[in-house]
Amino acid sequence: MPKVQPRPLRLGRRWSEALSGYLFLAPYLVVFLLFMVYPVLHGLWISFQEYSVIDGVSRWVGLENYIRMIRDPVFWKSLWNTLYFTLLSTPPLVVLGLALAIAIDRQFKLRSLFRVVFFAPYVLSVSVVGILWLWLLMPDYGLIDRVLTGLGFNTPNWLFDPRWAMPAVVLTTVWWTVGFNMIIFLAGLQDIPQSLYEAADVDGAGPWQKFWHITVPGLRRVTLFVVVRQVIASFQIFGQVFIMTGGGPYGSTRVLIQYVYEKAFRDYDMGYASSMAYTLFLIILVCTVLQFKLSREQGVD
Amino acid sequence: MRKVGLHGLLFYTLLTLIAVAWAIPLLWMFASSVKPEGEIMGTLKFLPSQPTLDNFRAVFTKAPIGRWLFNSFLVSGLTTAVVLIVDAMAGYAFARLHFPGREVLFFAVIATMMVPQQVVVVPLYILLNRMGLINTYPALIAPKLALALGVFLMRQFFLGLPKELEEAASIDGANRWTVFSRVLLPQARPALSALAIFTFTGSWNDFLWPLVATTKESMYTLTVGLANFAGTYRTEYGPWLAAAVFASLPMLVIFLLLQRQFVKGITLTGIKG
Repeated sequence: MPKVQPRPLRLGRRWSEALSGYLFLAPYLVVFLLFMVYPVLHGLWISFQEYSVIDGVSRWVGLENYIRMIRDPVFWKSLWNTLYFTLLSTPPLVVLGLALAIAIDRQFKLRSLFRVVFFAPYVLSVSVVGILWLWLLMPDYGLIDRVLTGLGFNTPNWLFDPRWAMPAVVLTTVWWTVGFNMIIFLAGLQDIPQSLYEAADVDGAGPWQKFWHITVPGLRRVTLFVVVRQVIASFQIFGQVFIMTGGGPYGSTRVLIQYVYEKAFRDYDMGYASSMAYTLFLIILVCTVLQFKLSREQGVD
Repeated sequence: MRKVGLHGLLFYTLLTLIAVAWAIPLLWMFASSVKPEGEIMGTLKFLPSQPTLDNFRAVFTKAPIGRWLFNSFLVSGLTTAVVLIVDAMAGYAFARLHFPGREVLFFAVIATMMVPQQVVVVPLYILLNRMGLINTYPALIAPKLALALGVFLMRQFFLGLPKELEEAASIDGANRWTVFSRVLLPQARPALSALAIFTFTGSWNDFLWPLVATTKESMYTLTVGLANFAGTYRTEYGPWLAAAVFASLPMLVIFLLLQRQFVKGITLTGIKG
């Protein structure tokens, strides 16, 4: 269709629409600029400063914070703790989430009840979960220890043992958040067309064959999404560790965000804290780009 | 219902065992919160021999937990209300109105969805401190208003609505605001409820920002106050559990009442977000 030159009447309407557009957008734009754009840029600027919030004095130090970070053993330990947590927690969170989704996907009577049981922990706040499991994992007197000792096992000191503290936090986190992954996988399962299964039935395929040749390929995209999202979320872990162990024992569970928090709000070394936060941001950005590229390669189904 | 063979029986048994294991922590927490102090760690009995409200009484005398509950409701409620209105308006603008810079602005908004909360915590604190807003409700509400997910969701939704709806209304002489508020918004209920649940839950359970933004006990949200309480009263497990029960009830009740919306909301926001 040939482009029509806008007549004066049209022009008036275009102006009015543009104005409306800005007016509708304005409230969000204001808070967006003030509480997102400005802080993101300012935070980056702060990471190049030696910033004291007490008297607002700041001194430009260039890359000094980042260099200090690279030389800081506590930074590397925190980063490693975060990585360790991610490596320990991601497989159970993804696999169990998938297994539960598959188990519950069948139509049976108590399906909603099971869904509630596995998902309910997710709506609790981190402090409720942290306190609950701190209590459950108490050496000797906590429920878990009592049951295990009763069954004849020798139990470790859980959160007070440097080798068991992080696994204990992982256990807590799996209980808390696996329901979320289960729900996502359930949605993914429902997106697989029923007709594929019916066709397979006609061909005489057994349940295992249907699983491997229909379900697994059908879930590839969702699984990638769940894994990457889980990894990114794990890198940001803070609450449950802070509440359950405070980073101990002996710094064995201090994760990166806790170190950032300590530097910023305990030592008031905000420039340094900011540089670590932006490093984390960079890591997460890389993960996101990787996911994007991988899902592109999967192709659009 | 299909016939349950041996395979099915094993499956259901296993699933039930896992589900029971999953439910035990919460159930145990509720049951123990009404046990006298001696029984909480002392025994493996599930039910209390003599239920008592002492633990709850102790919590209320030791900490302003009622105030914390009020703070959480106020902050989460206001945040949700503002986000719904502001994001719906912005989503509509991006979806249906043409203005210069629309694509660039939208891209900038979406890009911030990749920014983790921890990155903005420090500069936000500095900003709100300079504005004198630390330990105020606006400080607790403000950051969540800038999140992009809601705008993204609402735009997606409005894009999916048939244009005829608006055209019919404007032919009847309605101005843009009326079209938006009387015609489009009522249609947006599924997207709005998903966004409401996501925003309310996210605000209620937020830990890092309220921890940073409040230093006065009376301004704590329930989430932060609870953690603080547990830290202060290190070994008093009775009050611990009572406080945890108290703090978990609101969200649990909301969840049980609005299960289906919750699941839909999580799916919608989880996959897009």
